[in-house]
Amino acid sequence: MIEMFEYEFMQRAFLAGLIIASLASISGTFVVLRRYSMISETLAHSALVGVAVGVVAGYNPLWVAVGVALFSAWLMEYLRGQFAIYSDAILAILLSGALSLAIIIVSLGGAFNSSLFAYLFGSILSVSGDDLIMISLFGSIALALLLLFSRELYFIAYDEEVAKVSGIQVKWLNFLLVSVVAIIIALSIRVVGSLLIGALMVIPTVTALQFHKGFHQTMLISLGVALLSVVVGMILSFYFSLPSGATIVMCVIGCFIFSLVANKR
Amino acid sequence: MSLKFSVPIFDVKNLSFSAGSQKILSHISLEIFRGEYIAIIGPNGGGKTTLIRMLLGLEKPNEGSVKIYGQPLAKFRAWHKIGYVPQRASLTDVNFPATVEDIVSMGRTSTKGVFQRFNAEDKAIVEDVMAKMDVANLRDKMVGKLSGGQRQRAMIARALASQPEILILDEPNTGVDMSSQQKFYSLLRRLNKEDGITIVFITHDVGVIADDIARLFTINQKATICNNPKQALSCEDMTALYGIEAHLVHNHKHGH
Repeated sequence: MIEMFEYEFMQRAFLAGLIIASLASISGTFVVLRRYSMISETLAHSALVGVAVGVVAGYNPLWVAVGVALFSAWLMEYLRGQFAIYSDAILAILLSGALSLAIIIVSLGGAFNSSLFAYLFGSILSVSGDDLIMISLFGSIALALLLLFSRELYFIAYDEEVAKVSGIQVKWLNFLLVSVVAIIIALSIRVVGSLLIGALMVIPTVTALQFHKGFHQTMLISLGVALLSVVVGMILSFYFSLPSGATIVMCVIGCFIFSLVANKR
Repeated sequence: MSLKFSVPIFDVKNLSFSAGSQKILSHISLEIFRGEYIAIIGPNGGGKTTLIRMLLGLEKPNEGSVKIYGQPLAKFRAWHKIGYVPQRASLTDVNFPATVEDIVSMGRTSTKGVFQRFNAEDKAIVEDVMAKMDVANLRDKMVGKLSGGQRQRAMIARALASQPEILILDEPNTGVDMSSQQKFYSLLRRLNKEDGITIVFITHDVGVIADDIARLFTINQKATICNNPKQALSCEDMTALYGIEAHLVHNHKHGH
């Protein structure tokens, strides 16, 4: 197994994979508890617009994706506030709208090629040194913000109204959460792809929830599941020439099925 | 009453609320003073919960004003002084990853700044309120696995953890068996008498009201305030309030 680490691109891929797994699973705990799973899907598709602009205009797609995902997150929170009853419909509109816009931009720019494909399904082996620096830098900021406000976000996830009455700035923290999730998703699409990042964010936490533990333990189990899935997924992908993003997601699903069976008894 | 000369915790003036064309509350004015023990009763849909939600800023009135500790609601910041246990507290998502200790600790959240971690004092307060509400032995139990009575006590412990001066409970006995309810009322009374916490709660348990309560608000679109509930709560009053013939049964087990 050592031989796979002899390649520099594999070292970068592993490092990027482990960072993304940590970011996705820790933020995913809040996403799932807050019932924001569909929001992560919508943001992943919105980030594709940024990728499309980046690919067509020749900028680093990750940078543009972070900007567009942040803008979408704020627009989404605003619209969800305005149309509270139909907030899931707002997500459906934004999701399909963003995907359509991305396809049109790419089509007009004549950039329907493998590089776009890499952002749809992930291409961890093509992570560059610059990508890694960016993932580490923005990832650290996002993670620091999440951990700094973890107590408040946990309280809001448990009961938003009671949290509000106790003096917690619920509206501001909801914006913060979607912003952090937007950044993490935009960073992750290089590794697992925009169609699959939702899975890496949501399934580890749903798996951890099957063990019926407290908050910190649930977050740790979720982190463990995500890290394990990335390691196993990448090894399988290296030796059997499988697509990395999809293999990682299949590993997470494997963990989820195991958690269901193990907790059935 | 000397209470009347102090600034009320809640000062409600001329509050009205409509949902669409339906009038829920009409011109409600009332005051809640420090140290009081108040029950709110009224028929379903009469606006009890709406009134509480407006007191807490969760609903905006169409008309009227709410002051908390003399400040307009929008400017009030010392929310840790107010403990709130909503009606649905007994209907928690069973899969939510929280132990009793996790839940009670949430009550300390708003007392801390962003960069402040929980310290020994916070832990001591959490221990204290868990002991007071008799949930210390359940600290590691998942909140979804608690009985109705246990969950209700954990929720109140969470509200008490911010060391509030007033505790507002919306039908706290939903889903709780009778023996737990009796213990619960004596506990509320103790919090009021021994710890000086102002208690306001919505209830359907009319029997306990006649025995225990200092003041009673009856809410059915309009508010009636009874300063001596024992005398005021006649069958005629109840019939007028609920719109059907009522029989008042005193439950002496609640008495002190």
